[in-house]
Amino acid sequence: MTAFRLELRRSRALAIWLAVVVAGYGAIMGAMYPVLKANDALMSEYMQTFPKEFLAAFGMTGVLSDPGIFFTTYIGSWLWPIIATAAALLLGTRAVAADLDRGFLDLPLATPLSRTGYLTANIVAQVIVMAILAVAVVAGLWIAAAATGTVFDVAGFALAGLLSFVFGCALAGATTLLSVATLSRARSSGVIGGVVIAMYAVFVVTQVSKDWAWIAPISAWDHFRTTPLIDNGVVPVFDFALFAVIALAGWLAAIWAFRHRDLAA
Amino acid sequence: MTTPVIETTGLTKWYGRQRGVDDVAFSVAEGEAFGFLGPNGAGKTTTIRLLLGFLRPTAGDAHLFGRDAFREAAQLHKRVSYLGSDPGFLGELTGAEQLEYLGRLRKLRRRAWAPLAERLELDPSVRIKRLSRGNRQKIGVVAAFMGEEPLLVLDEPTSGLDPLMQREFLSLVAEVRSAGRTVFLSSHNLVEVERVCDRVAIIRDGRIVDVSSVAELMGAHWRSVNLVLDTPPAPDAFDLPNVEVVAMTGREVHLMVRGDVNALLARISSHRVVDVAITTPDVEDMFLRLYRGGGESRPAAMPGEVLA
Repeated sequence: MTAFRLELRRSRALAIWLAVVVAGYGAIMGAMYPVLKANDALMSEYMQTFPKEFLAAFGMTGVLSDPGIFFTTYIGSWLWPIIATAAALLLGTRAVAADLDRGFLDLPLATPLSRTGYLTANIVAQVIVMAILAVAVVAGLWIAAAATGTVFDVAGFALAGLLSFVFGCALAGATTLLSVATLSRARSSGVIGGVVIAMYAVFVVTQVSKDWAWIAPISAWDHFRTTPLIDNGVVPVFDFALFAVIALAGWLAAIWAFRHRDLAA
Repeated sequence: MTTPVIETTGLTKWYGRQRGVDDVAFSVAEGEAFGFLGPNGAGKTTTIRLLLGFLRPTAGDAHLFGRDAFREAAQLHKRVSYLGSDPGFLGELTGAEQLEYLGRLRKLRRRAWAPLAERLELDPSVRIKRLSRGNRQKIGVVAAFMGEEPLLVLDEPTSGLDPLMQREFLSLVAEVRSAGRTVFLSSHNLVEVERVCDRVAIIRDGRIVDVSSVAELMGAHWRSVNLVLDTPPAPDAFDLPNVEVVAMTGREVHLMVRGDVNALLARISSHRVVDVAITTPDVEDMFLRLYRGGGESRPAAMPGEVLA
C-alpha cells in the first residue's frame, strides 16, 4: 500500500491536469452540440464539400449532429488517442525506465518491497488515471450537453467511455512492457508514439482507399469505433476483449520481465 | 562456523562484451566492518548491485545470510539497509515524506528518522529539489541508519558530505558496529575505510587483487619511502628485492619497502638526496601499490582464517 500511495501521489498532478483538459474540451464540445444540431442542414451542406473518404478518415461517416459521429469526430478520432497516449507514455515509462535513470528505483527495491509489488503499484495507478480521464472526457461532454438541453443516451456514452478506457489501457500495457524491456524512457516512448502514428496513418489510408481496406485490422482505430456503439447500441465485444488482452498481456509480461531482468541503465 | 553475512564465489558480471566484475570472491563475517576499495570503474558498484540482487550474475554466486542475493532479494532486504552514492530521491517530496516512505517500506515505526535527522541537523520539511547535494546525502545517511537491519551496505556514503558530517557518519558506523551489525563500505575515501573497517578488499579492473585486514594492508613490515633527488634517477635505479616503485616523477620517487631496509638505504646513498621521508604507509600508499599491479590476487579468508 505504501508504494501504491506514492504512485497515486506521483500521478495526481498528471491526472488532474489531463482530466481538466479533456473534461473542459468535452464540455465545450457538449455545449456546442445544440448549436450544431440546430444548424444540421447547413453543416451537412458544408461537409459535402469534402471528399467522403477524407471525412471518413476523421470519423465523420454521416451526419455530424448524430451523437455517435459527433463523439467519434470530436473525441474518439483525435483528442482521446492523444491524451491516452500521453498518459500511457508518462505513466508507463515512469516506474522502471525513468526511475532507474534518475536513481530512484534502487531505493524502494533495496527494501523488502518486491519487484512485482513495485511495478504492480504503478500499473494500478495507470489503470486509475486512465479511468479518471475516460470518465472526465465522457462526463464533461455529456453534462455540458445535458445542461444545454440535449440528453445523450447514458448507456451508449458509458460504453464509449469504457472502450476509451480499455484503448488507453492497451497503450499503457504495451508502453510498460517496452519500458521494462528497454529500460529507456526515450526509446519506449518513441516506439509507442511511432506505432500509434503509424496505426492512425494506416487507418486514414484504409478509409481513403478501399484497396487497402484489408490492412485496416492492424490499426487500433479500426477497433476503436465508438459510432455504432453510441448510435446503435452495438457492443464491440471483440474490440473490448482485444484491447483488454493487449493491456493485460503487456502488464503481465512487464511484471515477469521486470522480475527476471538486470537493472542496469 | 557461522554462515557469512556476505559471501561471493567466482562472482562474474559481463554487460555484453564489457566487463563488470570477474571472479570476485570474498566473505564478510557477522559484526565485521568490511571496506571495498577501488577507483571509479573498478567494479565496486557492480558488485554492490549484484549483492542487492539488482543484477543477475553472469557466473558465480552472491549470497547474503546464506541465501541467493538475486532470487531472494526481497526477502533478504528485510535484513539489509542500503545507501547509494547519489540516491535519486524524488524532488517533489520533502525529506520527511521521502524518509517516511522508505521507513514504511521497511516496516519501521513512524518518524523513525526523526532523531537522526535532528542529530545531522537536517531540516526534513524542505522539498528535496531545494536541497544541496550534501543535504540530499544527509537524507541518504538518515535512511541508511534509521533502521536496525543487521547488514548495512554503503556505496560511497560520504560523497557530498562536509568534513563535520563525515565525522558524524564515522561515529554512526562505529555505533552500528558496537551494536554487532555488519557494515559493507564501498569507498575510494581511504581514510574513512582505514578508520572504520576491520578488513579491506581492493578491486582493480573488476578483479579482487587483495583481501586483508587493515592492519595487514598497512603492513607492519612495510615502509613508505619518499625521496627527492638532485637529478632524476635511472628507471631501474631502485630495482631491488622487496622494493616496489610506486611512483617516479622526475626527481621525486615514492617507494615501498618490505623488511630489511639496508639494501635500499645503500642504493639511496649512491644518489645525492635533497629530501627523504620514511613513514609507516597509510592505506592510500598500500592502495596505490596494489593498484599499480604490485599485489597478487589472493583468495579471501574469513577473519581468523589462515590462508594457505
